[in-house]
Amino acid sequence: MNERIIQISGIAVTGAYFLFVVFLYAAQPRSLDEVSRKAATTIQSAATRGQVIIGTYEIDRERFDEGLAAFRREDYVLARDQFEKADPEKRDARTQFYIAYSFYRQGWGRVSNDDELFGRAIEAANRASALEPNFRSTDENLKLRTPAELRNELEEGLKVTPNDFNPLKIFREKK
Amino acid sequence: MVEPDRQTTNEIEAVEAEYIDNPPQPRERNNDSSAMPRPAQPDVYDEHPVERRRRVFTYILLPVTFLTVALLGGLRLSDPDLAFVFIGPSLVCLVFAALMLVLFFRAGLIEFGEWFSERLPTLTLAANGALMLSLFAATVQLFNSLLPERGIPFWVVGFCFFWSLWTYLFAEFDARKLVRSLGALLGAAFVAKYLVLANLTAPASEGWLQGIFQNPTKEALTWLLDLPRYSGGTGYVQFFTLALYLAGLFLLPRSPSRKR
Repeated sequence: MNERIIQISGIAVTGAYFLFVVFLYAAQPRSLDEVSRKAATTIQSAATRGQVIIGTYEIDRERFDEGLAAFRREDYVLARDQFEKADPEKRDARTQFYIAYSFYRQGWGRVSNDDELFGRAIEAANRASALEPNFRSTDENLKLRTPAELRNELEEGLKVTPNDFNPLKIFREKK
Repeated sequence: MVEPDRQTTNEIEAVEAEYIDNPPQPRERNNDSSAMPRPAQPDVYDEHPVERRRRVFTYILLPVTFLTVALLGGLRLSDPDLAFVFIGPSLVCLVFAALMLVLFFRAGLIEFGEWFSERLPTLTLAANGALMLSLFAATVQLFNSLLPERGIPFWVVGFCFFWSLWTYLFAEFDARKLVRSLGALLGAAFVAKYLVLANLTAPASEGWLQGIFQNPTKEALTWLLDLPRYSGGTGYVQFFTLALYLAGLFLLPRSPSRKR
């Protein structure tokens, strides 16, 4: 080994070890098992961000389909979990729209709505419209097809109006 | 001078020796590359195994040693489950580490001009920079290890460190005396934190009420001095860290690129 190879190896080893130390202090693993788990998560996250930067990011189709199946079974918590895993970088308007819709359907009530879930639905709907302003869903099972329609429904649900005290309101349908 | 008993005539002496058909010829320095694979004027230091080992030690093993100190310096083991707790360095640790490096330069432990001379090739400068970075990271984390985490002890020990480093800065030191003084200073800080303060801390396994009845003094001091409750294993890890740092410092060359 000549001097150059030793110096290059030294720089590489020092750089790699330094990054490992920084990773440990950033990830804060509590055991040796957790070190490998957090390393895998960090690498996966870095790879996804890299895909976003170079423009090759795509959602996980398989997880999205699983989420859609759960959404149609009205298992909204599982559906959201699958949608979030399918689009970890929140870059797909369609997935974000389904997330918003799942919050809406879960929070909808005949007598009263869940304001917290409706608030989170508005956030997701805003993300969907920001990603794709002309987005329109092709899903026949949804009565609200665009983020704007969904947002309007959610905002109406959050308002307290005299109509909220109308007893006939219990006959309305979930959209 | 010819000795009197030595025969000077043409008598043949019988000598026991091995016959070699083609005795080795000294290598000629010419331009024939097939006969001579080495460069025309080889650098004897490049080929010398001792020199090669010295370079491997300086550019690979020393940075690894210092970065191990950087890794372990902020590591604590929680009590009672022994889970890892990584504590990042406070800003004052960076200040102390910078002061320490200035001390190293002033005392001649590191000859700055030879580490970062414009005569050196870029790669050597980068390798020296990596070594220097690892030394700085280790020094920061060493102070992170030896300074109490919070409360009055943090300020008291921090002031002692600052006062010592500040006075060292204006003293006349040589490298050997500096390493000895720093060894004593760091050793005293280790004793203060991991022997004295650790023994004043009530164990985390005891409940608050149980602690008041069984160890009222420790419980009161833990509360008054705001002492963190870590496992006893932390002291062992930090002892190893301190020893590794001092060993690395002792073995650090004045100039990593100087040939013997």
